[in-house]
Amino acid sequence: MYDVINHLINTVFGLGWPSWAISLIAYLLVATILFLVAPFQMLFLTYFERRAIAQMQDRIGPNRVGPQGLFQPVADGVKMFTKEDIVPDAADKWVHLIGPCVVVAPTMFMFAVLPWGPGMVPLDMNIGLLFFFAISSVSAVGLMASGWASNNKFALLGAMRAVAQMVSYEIPAVLSLLAIVLVTGSLSIVDLIHQQAGLFISSADVPGIPDLGLGWFVFTPVGFLAFIAFFIAALAEGERTPFDIPEADSEIVAGYMTEYSGMKFGLFYLAQYVLNFLLCAITAIIFFGGWQGPGVGWLYAQAITPTNPDGNGLFNVLAGMLGVFYFLAKTYFFFFVMVWVRGAYARLRIDQLMDFGWKFLIPLTLVNVISAAIWVGLTKWGAAEGLAFVEGWAPLMRWGVAFVITLLLNIAAYIFLARVYSQAQDERARLDNEVLERLTNVA
Amino acid sequence: MDLLIQIIFGLLSALVIGAAMMVVTVRNVIHAALWLIASFFGVAALYLLLEAEFIAVVQVLVYVGAISILILFAIMLTRSNEGDRLLTKYWWASALIALGLFGVAFLPTFTGTTWNMPQPTGPAGTPEVLSGVEELGRGFVSEFVLHFEIAGVLLTVALIGAIVIAFEERSRRRRVLTLAEELELRKRRQAAESVD
Repeated sequence: MYDVINHLINTVFGLGWPSWAISLIAYLLVATILFLVAPFQMLFLTYFERRAIAQMQDRIGPNRVGPQGLFQPVADGVKMFTKEDIVPDAADKWVHLIGPCVVVAPTMFMFAVLPWGPGMVPLDMNIGLLFFFAISSVSAVGLMASGWASNNKFALLGAMRAVAQMVSYEIPAVLSLLAIVLVTGSLSIVDLIHQQAGLFISSADVPGIPDLGLGWFVFTPVGFLAFIAFFIAALAEGERTPFDIPEADSEIVAGYMTEYSGMKFGLFYLAQYVLNFLLCAITAIIFFGGWQGPGVGWLYAQAITPTNPDGNGLFNVLAGMLGVFYFLAKTYFFFFVMVWVRGAYARLRIDQLMDFGWKFLIPLTLVNVISAAIWVGLTKWGAAEGLAFVEGWAPLMRWGVAFVITLLLNIAAYIFLARVYSQAQDERARLDNEVLERLTNVA
Repeated sequence: MDLLIQIIFGLLSALVIGAAMMVVTVRNVIHAALWLIASFFGVAALYLLLEAEFIAVVQVLVYVGAISILILFAIMLTRSNEGDRLLTKYWWASALIALGLFGVAFLPTFTGTTWNMPQPTGPAGTPEVLSGVEELGRGFVSEFVLHFEIAGVLLTVALIGAIVIAFEERSRRRRVLTLAEELELRKRRQAAESVD
């Protein structure tokens, strides 16, 4: 964006503005576009979710406003805006107001490092991945503040549940990402996508076969296990159905949103759907190559890039369109999976949620980190790191050996942990029964 | 450009100091914790201004995302003791002592450091990454490996301690019965009575 603005102002109009002014204009423009994109994503996703879940439950869903009910979210938005904003008398006015803002702001920040297509990233930070997750943890503060400021038991309970859940599921999420970061050796999201070019066998090239953009990490044992763990953790962070206990309406009304109405409630709603979109997007980027897909690499090689300044501008547009199409298709597919899970599973209890996170997912992802280290050692290291014996192997051979070893390790870890976990759950049920028998004094 | 950075630095410092002042002067403990979070954010922004991106992000991840949550949890789960402002008439004495101690720590640093450092020049005009992830990682496993290991052991000890404190033998625990269990209880009682 900077280059385009710079070209337009300083070369076409010849105004000679300083670089900081151009940077400011470029980033403001990008930020404006993203601020417009985010609410539209939310509008579309709410409509999509309501229609999809209605189909699963043998209903029709919203179908009256516009063709196929497509304008239903707009009507909802108007309703939100015109509703009265009620602040409880006993609430802490300022914190009650700040809470929803602190929940929404981080989700908007997260767009800053999200690449949409080849060369289409607002800001390529070299620690983009870490930035994404660091910022997402800030919204917990907002949840806590709004739950406390409402001065309502249900709100406080909901906030406590939400924060406990977010903090515990951040660990498996970040550990599964750590495995991927080990494999790529970079924290930049753009680098991550570029490394997923090529064939299904990601770290070895076969001569004579063009770049299909299919070297996704999900095709390796390390990436697959990380993907499963990460997606479950993403469901918990986005408060999607099997983990939606913070707003379990049959137990605690609406959790931390109980005392909110009008547009403040709308902000929570916005934050939740934008966060879900972002979590699906980052899943698609990290494990499914983001905009990578057949054809994008070839198109982008013809386009104007910093390494290829005399390319054809048309190919920029084509590569961008195809890339964004692949990216959004993957993202919406994952959102569909989220809706699917919502249609299929019942809500977990809080102790089941905590047990699953701490006793199953975290050990599993820790084993996966070790697998990732083995993978890196076998595919990338050589004599310099003390692994002289792998130097003589062909790249495909190294890849195959790494694949088999990590696959066996991950499957063994999964079977062992699943067995231990199910035994612990059985034992727990038995002990619960014993407690009950002691309380009743009957056998 | 320099002037712009000076202005941003001034604003951020004002935010950090102002928020820190609010932390110690507001009466409500929760408000104090929220101001503390604002102060943490300001510090993270200052790190960004120093081009230490990694440290800035970790500051947000650790302090805003974890430690402040811990503080909020601790405040909410303990008894609320909101009282009067603890400003005695000898506040100037404590201010003097605090200023003196600060001076003792600050003056040697202020006088003993060369502040006019030359700009670091990287290869081919690229700005040098001051504290990138790689440099930090290499430092942790080579130069500062002992510190790193000691911190790791300390954290593990804290983790085990937390588990020991929170662990409750299951056969001895008391808990509130769920509705289904109450029902089950009643059924069993009735069954026991009918046997008698």
